Amino acid sequence: MSTKSKEKVQMDPAYIIKLTVTLLVTCVVVAAALGGVNAVTEEKIDAINWANTVAAMKAVVADPDNTTFSDELPLTDEMTAASGSVTLDSVYEVQVGGAGAGYAIKVVASGSQGKIEMMVGVDGEGTVTGVSIVKNAETAGIGSKVMTNMPTASGVGVLSQFEGKSAADAPLTVGANVDAISGATVSTRGVTNGVNAALAVAGVMG
Amino acid sequence: MNLGKQLKEGLLTQNPVLVQMLGLCSTMAITTSIMNGLGMGVSVLIILTASNVVISAIRKIVPDKIRIAMFIVVIAGFVTCVDLLLQAFVPAIAASLGVFIPLIVVNCIILGRAEAFSYKNGVGASFFDGIFQGLGYTLVLLAMCFIRELLGAGTLAGFRIIPEQFPIGILTLPVGGFLVLGFLIAAMQWALSKSKEGK
Repeated sequence: MSTKSKEKVQMDPAYIIKLTVTLLVTCVVVAAALGGVNAVTEEKIDAINWANTVAAMKAVVADPDNTTFSDELPLTDEMTAASGSVTLDSVYEVQVGGAGAGYAIKVVASGSQGKIEMMVGVDGEGTVTGVSIVKNAETAGIGSKVMTNMPTASGVGVLSQFEGKSAADAPLTVGANVDAISGATVSTRGVTNGVNAALAVAGVMG
Repeated sequence: MNLGKQLKEGLLTQNPVLVQMLGLCSTMAITTSIMNGLGMGVSVLIILTASNVVISAIRKIVPDKIRIAMFIVVIAGFVTCVDLLLQAFVPAIAASLGVFIPLIVVNCIILGRAEAFSYKNGVGASFFDGIFQGLGYTLVLLAMCFIRELLGAGTLAGFRIIPEQFPIGILTLPVGGFLVLGFLIAAMQWALSKSKEGK
């Protein structure tokens, strides 16, 4: 409670050392406490994240009950280059009966309100088996219709319409071979960019 | 220690959001559903109470010149704890609140109470200050969530109350947050000035 408002900056070394030590000790104590909490929660958080990832991957493969997934595959420069302006997050190999049957590719595209994290399943022939949204911030009631796979004017779910598309149809374009949800063109375009990127990544992986 | 007075201040006369105008950003951003409001309110209440107690306990050894830095370290520590615990044990709430949990660090309610109250008062009083100010914040969040979720999305805690074609969608957008908060602040100021006149 310094009431002496015009006091000069105190340059007394002992005082400066006292300030430094107090702050340092506080930081060390807080860091130690956080380390403790982290040790308790880390495994649980990892397990939850992995369960979410697996659930997202199961949603995009043709036969979820008989499918297993590899650990995250290392990303090469070629793969990240193929995804272009869309961020490539991670790639997992889809395995049916132990044999590779395509990839589950997680990409981060931009929507109208921020990033759209999405999982795209691509089978061994390079055909999209499914698209699901992991995380998004699209506007409730507008862009969120795309995220929840509402049907477009043609009656097919906006995410479901990507199933069966392949690199032969690329680049998928809203208005040409992709139907948008009315009022949510930007969100639909974001998802479409994500699918294009995933197809390109699957393409370079062969 | 005067609990009745502290309670009245936290909920009404010194309500952190409607009177002190602290923490407005998070108030507008997350109040689109009751569950969000409850999760955020309770998180802030816990962090505020814990940091108030710790700051009050160490107030005699904290050098005046670096008190803000010390406050922030203590607050950041508690926020990170709550963030990790939410992610581990209530992932649904952690996912829907997203970045707003880490941002509690810079929520001015907490730093504001540290500077205005717990740095100058005893541990017990600071504890109750945290609880009551936290309750005041939570109640405002719940009021906003109630209005915005019911009228904007037509649901309450996820249950549909108003058929899908009727809700006023704009209330769930940021502009709706500004509108509802503005009306609540006006109503609060009106009620407070009324009660002053009555005395």
